Amino acid sequence: MRRFPLLGTLLTLTIALTLALAACGEDEKPAAGPEPTAPAAGFPVTVARSDGRELTISEAPQRIASLSPAATEVLYAVGAGPQVIVTDDYSDYPEEAQDTAKLDAYQPNLEAIVGVEADLIIIAHDVDNIVDALDRVGETVLFLEVPGSIDGVMEQVRLLARVTGHAGEGERLAQEMEERVEAVTDKVADIEEGPLVYHELDNTFYTAAPGSFVGGFYELLKARNIAEGAPTAYPQLTQEEILDRDPEVIILANADAGESPDTVKARPGWGVISAVENDRIHVVDPDILSRPGPRVAEGLEELARLLYPETFP
Amino acid sequence: LRRARALSAPDTSADAVAAEEAFALPGVRPLRGLVPLALTAVLAAVLLGVSQGSVDIPFTTVVRILAWKVLGLGSVAWPEAWGEIVWQIRLPRVLLAGLVGATLAFSGAGYQGVLRNPLADPYLIGVAAGAGLGATIVLVSGVPYAFGSLSLLPPAAFVGAVLAVSISYGLARSGGVVPNVTLILAGVAISAAAASATSFLIIANHEQAVSVISWLLGGFNTATWQKVGIVLPYSLVGAAAILASGRLLNVLQLDDEDAQQLGVPVERVKMMVIVAASLATAAAVSVSGLIGFVGLIVPHSVRLVWGFDYRHLVPMSMAVGAVFLILADLVARTVLSPSEVPVGIITALCGAPFFLWLLRHHRRAAF
Repeated sequence: MRRFPLLGTLLTLTIALTLALAACGEDEKPAAGPEPTAPAAGFPVTVARSDGRELTISEAPQRIASLSPAATEVLYAVGAGPQVIVTDDYSDYPEEAQDTAKLDAYQPNLEAIVGVEADLIIIAHDVDNIVDALDRVGETVLFLEVPGSIDGVMEQVRLLARVTGHAGEGERLAQEMEERVEAVTDKVADIEEGPLVYHELDNTFYTAAPGSFVGGFYELLKARNIAEGAPTAYPQLTQEEILDRDPEVIILANADAGESPDTVKARPGWGVISAVENDRIHVVDPDILSRPGPRVAEGLEELARLLYPETFP
Repeated sequence: LRRARALSAPDTSADAVAAEEAFALPGVRPLRGLVPLALTAVLAAVLLGVSQGSVDIPFTTVVRILAWKVLGLGSVAWPEAWGEIVWQIRLPRVLLAGLVGATLAFSGAGYQGVLRNPLADPYLIGVAAGAGLGATIVLVSGVPYAFGSLSLLPPAAFVGAVLAVSISYGLARSGGVVPNVTLILAGVAISAAAASATSFLIIANHEQAVSVISWLLGGFNTATWQKVGIVLPYSLVGAAAILASGRLLNVLQLDDEDAQQLGVPVERVKMMVIVAASLATAAAVSVSGLIGFVGLIVPHSVRLVWGFDYRHLVPMSMAVGAVFLILADLVARTVLSPSEVPVGIITALCGAPFFLWLLRHHRRAAF
């Protein structure tokens, strides 16, 4: 693509980000012991960053810059919202986060980030070595890649709560999320084999395979994924493969682009698919499912209702 | 006509004679032996394409499905999904790939002919960058672009392509004349501007990046009969126009002034070929994205094997382009089964070594 010199770089970048989304989650275990009953106390606190370095925070930060939509949701959910002064362009939830000053997390501008004089900068994507650059100028940077699994989300909730002085709220939130997830998985415990699902990310048939963050929801719900065996976490399927594998349920994460159960039914040839015949095509909010934040339990419950309408009325 | 002979001087003497015949004997039809060969190759590629895929359907079943759908022969004795896969998904996909391949190839031959530039391809003066920008604007705008079986993408890409070419052509035109170099430079500048706008939109809209890049790299994953229907009229008209200009394109290989003196209405031919090739390419690109390499390399390959005469070059390019893109798409949809690889990656990856081999083995001047 010689006329689009940036394309190669962009493709690599996008794939790298997607891989990062899928690959991490293991190495963010808190380095210090948990202190669930001591909110606001417990400083200094030392945690491990995603690049393996340790970060020590001496007192509760009061000017937080969150360059990660997922982290932003966690911060507000554990009560650190008032300490947040800046978020990134994609941090659109909760609504208060939209009113903060904004920074670009995907094309980070070193000068602009330093200029907000934050005492804690949370970064999920190390674009252009921005983490190292911020370290060099003496900023306090918490580099936390987005977790690759739902369990990883709970860990990150606890960690973010601890470093912002809300360990108690964090523990409560994480426990509540764990209970909600458990309530769902308990109900599907007796199910041997759930429905066969096709999760559509866009209308050129990109999907989430088992092993991806989104795919993890379906694994928890014991649903079978038509992208089983795909070579990547977010593969593009051929149409004939979708028809041949014959999903029983189709979940659309691309309603923004105009896709709906009706547009799917109108696709030539798709009439033979069980999900189309039985009218089991549903729309979900992609932000809730793909963003590893406090709403994952909500997302899991929503999917459970769509996959097992009898069990989850 | 001495220049004509000088032009083909590096060739074997047989080719020089052929070239001379091409200029001197416009009534001769040297294609006769090649037409059946070309048609057979295209038909074989279509059959191969329809019979292979990520889903294993026996060849005899594929033939029976086609016989039943096309001729009403036999009876349905296969899983319903197989019928839909062959008729609604594979066949339109294979035909669209063939149609787009043929279109890019004849457009490339036409551009190379009128611009007398070996680096010319159908994307040179703005079609690709304009279509890319048009599609990207729709993809990142956040407006819903799918309506039932209709999509906003093809019209947006088409309009972008036509606008970009029109601007290039308009800027290059002065005093009723469009000098080749000016047109190419204007096209390159317009392309660069549109491409950087596209790149900016991708960067600024991270969440749609995969969709946009996937569209730009091109592919036939969403092929339907409807898309075949969208491209077909443009391709037919474009092909007819450029096929009919074969003899004029031969004469245009002299420089513009000489051609003018031989009674060729140079500017009119140039405009007709560019309009025909651009509209056909714009239609092809609007449904398949920016599939690179085909429009550039196919005419060159044909030239290396069958010579310079545009009356062979255009139809043979169409056949080779169709076969090449059908096979490239076959690789794209089976090599990583059950997932896809954008076909634009395959065309360059598999086409480049083949072309280089051809270049070494037919030591004819490439242009």
